[in-house]
Amino acid sequence: MIMEEKNIKKIVKESYSEIARKKGCCCCGNFDEEEIAKSIGYSKEEINIASEANLGLGCGNPVALANLKKGAIVLDLGSGAGFDSFIAAKKVGDTGKIIGVDMTEDMINKAKELANKYGYKNVEFRLGDIENLPVESESIDIVISNCVINLAPDKLKVFKEAYRVLKPDGKMYVSDIVLLEELTQEQRKNDELIAGCVGGALLKEEYLKIIQNAGFSYNILYEDKEISKRRQYQGFNLESLKVELYK
Amino acid sequence: MERIKTKKDILEILCCPTCKSDLEIEIKKEEKDEIITGILICKKCKNNYKIEYGIPNLLPKKEKNDFNQ
Repeated sequence: MIMEEKNIKKIVKESYSEIARKKGCCCCGNFDEEEIAKSIGYSKEEINIASEANLGLGCGNPVALANLKKGAIVLDLGSGAGFDSFIAAKKVGDTGKIIGVDMTEDMINKAKELANKYGYKNVEFRLGDIENLPVESESIDIVISNCVINLAPDKLKVFKEAYRVLKPDGKMYVSDIVLLEELTQEQRKNDELIAGCVGGALLKEEYLKIIQNAGFSYNILYEDKEISKRRQYQGFNLESLKVELYK
Repeated sequence: MERIKTKKDILEILCCPTCKSDLEIEIKKEEKDEIITGILICKKCKNNYKIEYGIPNLLPKKEKNDFNQ
């Protein structure tokens, strides 16, 4: 791994460890986590399912987009404290399963603690890297990811890995920050912007090109430009992109 | 009807993050169908991955070393 990529992962890990430990979002300013969740498409019921796991870090509701069926096997890339995983777990029921992968130990520990506390039998959290998934090929029905891939230094690798683990008729639902205008070199190197889902984000066209290069076809489901009003994104021309990918 | 999956079943959908081969599980402690402590072993690349407190550490080995050293 090249030096720069290693540094990005270190910055992201440290920042999200801190968030996991103090419970709460580092950069959302005036909003609380529940308000953020509502503003990006979670229902009151969904928030109540796993309010302790809601750290206000998402930029959409990929579980809602995925229309999960009972029995589905779901992989959550960058599962954090498990908010989306727990909501998905309710939808797929006891015959389904959710696998959450996150590289930040404090996040995985928190998610695991909550899974134990609330007795989730169909959820498993793995400490892992979404660029090198510890998941068998063609084993997953649905991959979800919420505001995480922008943090990964090698996004093509992430999408290629998701492609590998999905069953032939599997689908992926991504909510992520994409830029509508290029950043400066200084902004690209800013640790806070990297951890805050801006510094590592790609231009929308570039992001969609990478999705195609990984082998996927895609449908853009929704583009949320309102999100740029959130404090951490203010001053940046960006949006939250919700996209459905299929093999 | 499909039977209810246990946490042990979930662990079957995995592979070595480093070389993508199948992993073998050595269980040291389990509780109610959940593996609490154990080792996941890759026969191909010879890497081992620990399971502690019910959490498998499946960070790719090279990267894990990068972070820890």
